[in-house]
Order: sequence, then C-alpha cells, then structure tokens
Amino acid sequence: MASYQGLKTLFLACCALGGLAGAAQADNFDYGKFPGYTLKVKLIGGTQYEKLYTRIPEWEKLTGAKVEIVSSKNHFDLDREIKQDIASGSITWCVGSNHTSFAPQYGDLYIDLKQEVPADVLAEYVPGTLKASEVDGRLVQLPRVTDVSNIYYNKDVYENADIKAKYKEKFGVDLAPPKTFDEFKQQAIFLASPPNRYGTAFAGKDEGLTGRFMEIVRANGGDMFDKNWKPIFNSPEGVAALQWFVDLYKAKAVPAGTVNYTWDDIGQAFAAGQLAVDLDWPGWAAFFNDPKTSKIAGHVGLATAPVGTSGKRGGWSGSHSFSVTQDCDNKKAGVSFAVFMTNDESELLEARAGNLPTRTKVFDDVVKEFKDSGNTYMADMFTAWRASLADARTPPLVPQWIEVSNVIWPQLQAAIVGEKTPQEALDKAAADATQIMQDAGLLKQ
Amino acid sequence: MSFLRSPRAIPYLLLLPSIVVIAAVVLIPLIVSLWSSFTPYVLTRPATLFQFVGWRNYLRIVSSTDFWWAFGRTLLFVTVALNLELVFGLGLALLVNKVTMGQKTIRTVMMFPMMFSPILVGFQFKYIFNDAVGLMNNALFSLGLITQPIPWLVDGVLANASILAAEIWMSTSIFAILLLAGLLALPKDPIEAAKVDGCNPIQVFRHITLPFLMPFIYIAMTIRSLDVARAYDMVRIMTNGGPAGRTELLWTLMARVGYQNSQMGMANAMGYVSILTSILFTVYFYRKLVAARRYMGGAE
Repeated sequence: MASYQGLKTLFLACCALGGLAGAAQADNFDYGKFPGYTLKVKLIGGTQYEKLYTRIPEWEKLTGAKVEIVSSKNHFDLDREIKQDIASGSITWCVGSNHTSFAPQYGDLYIDLKQEVPADVLAEYVPGTLKASEVDGRLVQLPRVTDVSNIYYNKDVYENADIKAKYKEKFGVDLAPPKTFDEFKQQAIFLASPPNRYGTAFAGKDEGLTGRFMEIVRANGGDMFDKNWKPIFNSPEGVAALQWFVDLYKAKAVPAGTVNYTWDDIGQAFAAGQLAVDLDWPGWAAFFNDPKTSKIAGHVGLATAPVGTSGKRGGWSGSHSFSVTQDCDNKKAGVSFAVFMTNDESELLEARAGNLPTRTKVFDDVVKEFKDSGNTYMADMFTAWRASLADARTPPLVPQWIEVSNVIWPQLQAAIVGEKTPQEALDKAAADATQIMQDAGLLKQ
Repeated sequence: MSFLRSPRAIPYLLLLPSIVVIAAVVLIPLIVSLWSSFTPYVLTRPATLFQFVGWRNYLRIVSSTDFWWAFGRTLLFVTVALNLELVFGLGLALLVNKVTMGQKTIRTVMMFPMMFSPILVGFQFKYIFNDAVGLMNNALFSLGLITQPIPWLVDGVLANASILAAEIWMSTSIFAILLLAGLLALPKDPIEAAKVDGCNPIQVFRHITLPFLMPFIYIAMTIRSLDVARAYDMVRIMTNGGPAGRTELLWTLMARVGYQNSQMGMANAMGYVSILTSILFTVYFYRKLVAARRYMGGAE
C-alpha cells in the first residue's frame, strides 16, 4: 500500500511538473530569472483568496526568486496599511493586492503596467475588465478575479407548490426569479415569514450599501455624478432607489439587523436557508452548493441580476488585482509575479472555486471543465455571470470615491431606519459629497 | 557652558535622556498631529501636510452636527458607563469583602473579563445581541416572551444599551478590584468604634467606609474615564457607529475620517477636541480626589 502511495505521488508530481513546463511553454510571457532575489509582497488574506497563493512556489521554481509575504490582511485593513506606508514614505515592498475601487486613491504608488507587459499578453485579459483597471489612462493593476452580482434563489421556496399557488393568486403571474428590482421587492416581501425566513437581505453599511444603491440608481437611469463631477444621486432615480431599501425594511422583508450586515452575514444567512432570494457575488456559488457549508446545497437557483425602471442593469462591478510599486527594486520580478498570478492556470484555479476569471479563454475552459464533470450548476453559474458582465460598470474611478461613499451610506441608513425621508437623506449626502469634490478640486465652487 | 559644568546642572543632565525619549515618543507626535490639524493632510498625498489652512478643520467641526452628536453621545456614554461600573463594582467589592473562604479565587475569577481583548468582547456581544442568530433573542423566543426578533443592535436606545452592557461587563471588575483594595486597607478601629456607638450597617457605610473609599473611587474614575472615552474596538465590531450614526462615538468617527477617508488633518482636529475634553474630565476627578483626601486627613 505504501509503495502504491509512493508511486501515485511520483506520478502526480511528474504530471504537475509536466503541466508546469507545458504551461510555461504555452504562455507567451517571459517570466525571467531572478536567482537569489526576494520579492516582498502585500497580499489580501482570507479563505477565498489564499488558494491562489499555493501557486507561489511554482513561480519561485520558475524564476529562482523567493517570495516574502510582508502582509496578509483583509482588504480594508490592507488599504489602511498601504495608506500609512504612503504617508510614512516606507514603500519597501514590490507587489500589492489592489482593487478597482481602491486603486484611484493611491496616486502614483504603482507603475503603468502597459509599459512592462507586452500588448499581446494584455490582449488575453477581458477587455472591459482591463480597461476598468486603468486610472487616468495608466494600467495600474492586473485583474485576478472580477465581481458582478447576480441572483441566487432558494428552489425549495420558489418551487414550493403552495407558495407558487398563493403568489399566482395574489399577483396573477407565476413565481419565477425576479427580472426587475420592483419584482424583486414584491417577491421578497411576499416570501418573507420572519423570524424563520426573510425575503432577502442587503449589505447595510460601508461601500456594500453605497455600491448596491449606486447599482439601482444606474439601473433606474440615473448616476452618482454628472460629467463635471457634481453629485446627482439625489435625483428622482436616486430617491426611487433608496425607497426600494426603505420599503423592504419597513415591510420586515429583511432582517432588522441587515443595516449592520456585510457580505459574510448575508452569505451565511442564505446558506442557512434563512433567505428566499439573494443578490450576491459569484464567489459564493460553490459555498452555497456545498453540503458541508450550506443547508440548501442542491437547491440553489441562478438568474441574472434584475433591471431597473430604465430597463437596464446597474452592473456594479470591480476586480481584485495585483499592482507593482514604483519604488520596487526589481520591477521585472514584480511584473513577472503579477502576470504569473493572473495567467490562465492561476485563473483556472480560482475559477474552479467559482470566482470569475479575468482572462477571456478561461471562461470557456472552466465551463467546459464543469460540463465534462457533470457539474451543470457551476457551468450555468459561469454562463449567467458572463452575461451580466456585459453590463458591468465600476464605481467612479476617482480617489474620492471611498470618501464619498462614507458620507452616503450613513444617510442611506438614516432613511432605511426611518429617521429621514429618502429625499432629505440624499440631499444631505449630496451636500457633503459636493464639499469633498470641491475640496479635491474636481468640482468648481 | 559654565552652567553645564556647575553642580546645579547635574539633575538636568541626569534627566536629559528621559527628556529626549519623552520628546521623541510623545512630544514630537503631539506637535506633528497638532500641526496637521491645521492642514488638509490626506494620508495618500503627503504633500498636503505642508498646506496650512488655518482654523478650517476646526470651523468645519464646530459646524458639523455629526461631530456634535458623536461628541454628546461620547459624553453620555462615558458618564453612564462610569457610574454604572462604579455602582456594580462597589457592590461586587462589598460582597467579595464579606467572603471569608476562597476570596483569592473569587478575585481572580472577577478579573477574567479584563483579560479579554475588547475586540473579542465586541464579537462576543455582537453574537449575543444579533437579531437573527443571537443568544438573547433565541432565549426570549424559547421563553415565549417575544414573537418578533428584537433588533438589539439597530434600535437607537437598545444599540447603545447593548454596547454599554459589553463595556460594563468588561470593565466593572476594574472598579471592583480597586475598591476591594481600598476595603482591604480600611482600618477596622473606626468601624468598631462606630458600631459601639450604635451605628447601623448603612450608617457605617455612609459615614466611615464610603468617605474612606472616595480617593480610590476617584482614581478609578480618572483611569476609566480615559479608557471609556477611547472606546473604539468594541463599538467598531458591534455596530461601527451605526446604523445611521446612532452609536457613533468620537473615536469611531475619527477612525473613519482618518483611516478610511484618509483625512488625517481633520481627524487630528477632532482628536484635539477630544483630548481637551478628556483633560477636563481628568482635572475634575483630580480635584475631587484631592478634596476627598483632604477630608480623610481631617482638613475639612
């Protein structure tokens, strides 16, 4: 038995090495050789991100360099740490995890990767995703996974004959995954029977709330700023978007604590069968369908995100990415690492867990792989999410976005819990956001 | 130069290393942060540290209703927390002082909450008061006392009360330990004399024990007022100042402005307002402490 295990290990090792050599040959990027060099990196930590880092030894073997992980934190803590590094002038590391929403804040901290990565390599990334990785025309990050929300629904609820009959009787239409935000609200209110089941839940604070609000504003035909950077989210489209949250909250279709929830709370609640429908990120797909982590595994339905009153999707989107610092003492090594961690093999590794790849080819590869293995749920997931990416839009790519978001979400909360009317709350947020944009010199007095 | 060689210089020369260390670790950061409160200093744009904007940050603070709400809430939070911790701590100390067996074990057990990091206490109480899966609501449901979950961390009054509960749970023992030390040091003679004179236990407590404990109470108050006014970790974890700013304290507001919005100049201006308030609290408690000691010394 022991000798069988040994042979099996040897066989797997040979396959892995063969695969690595094949991958290196198939890749049209020269990763270079950096023997004896130690590359310092600051990476986002957490279960769903760490799996990719198992590829670091492969890059070390390929290039002869060593990787030292200086920091491994959640993105908000990492962002704070990077800002403090900028403030203290101590950029002693080369590669950092980044995100579309965070990148504009960092000024000229990171190099323009268009100068370092050949155009034919860049052409392998999803064009829209790559474009969204630019700040002021500079490609400051190589995207590793993309996010855009779609609908997950609990089939036990949506296919329950009794519930379906009552819904048909009340609204005159069949119960099916919502196609519009109005329908989403109507179904969430109808399907809620607290405290055992809520219609849905939403991230009730931080950029999670601002982002979802922005998505509905855009889906309603409005936007956050006009072309002169004047905040315009207190428009009728904005008020209608905020009213959507207020109505759900007032009707008790969401848990009262949703105003303190972030993504983990919502994902866990859906996996526990406490929510009927959930507008959420692709990274949860595998988690929701895994019997070890989810009570509703095997009963999860997927549908594309709803449209707003304008008939369009808001498509709130962004990407996790890798950036290389200007102060890096070996930029070639930094770029090599960033490309390696976002190449086809790395992307495929992440896609198998449900993350949306940022390289065009990997979408087809992962769907084929899941179809071949009979995993239609995951194959359907990628098809649905790829469709939504067509409407994807990032938050405004300005350094002030997080600051503006921080004056918006407390006002959204104030309206949701009934302290202010939506118009009052949005007017206050718009006034504060105007001051931020004026201070930044983007908006003239 | 001649002064440096004179014997009068010796104390200063001996103190010089500590003066240098204090200047490096306390004074310089204080001066830099004071300066930055007069600039639009943004963490990601270091050049803004050299842009003087006068009183602009302070004027914005003065006209900011969000800041004054956080300021008022912090004062209220400090006052309520301190007084409740004092009452519970005093009660605990008096009870433990009566125990004749296993007092050392009880004293150690009493200190357990202090050993937890405030972040852990925050997570623990966030779980207890969670509206969907929290222990509190589950218990109330099981007892048939509620039919709808209570939004402990959402409602304005309940959310602040939940944070207070966490704070009091964690810190009451500090009061208890300090006051117990006072009780253990309490001379027995005056108490015996009072009893002989016919005082009942309440009169003994009112006229002998409490005056003796007052210096200990004010020392505890001074230390704890600074700690409570800096309450951040627990509030950050439990509610992060929300929802809708209902539990926003000065420190959660400052952390958001300084680290999330990168506006360190504005955050430092808020910090200086908060430091001045803390100094007022400290001065008040020290005056009370001095008065209590004078009283004990028979000066009054």
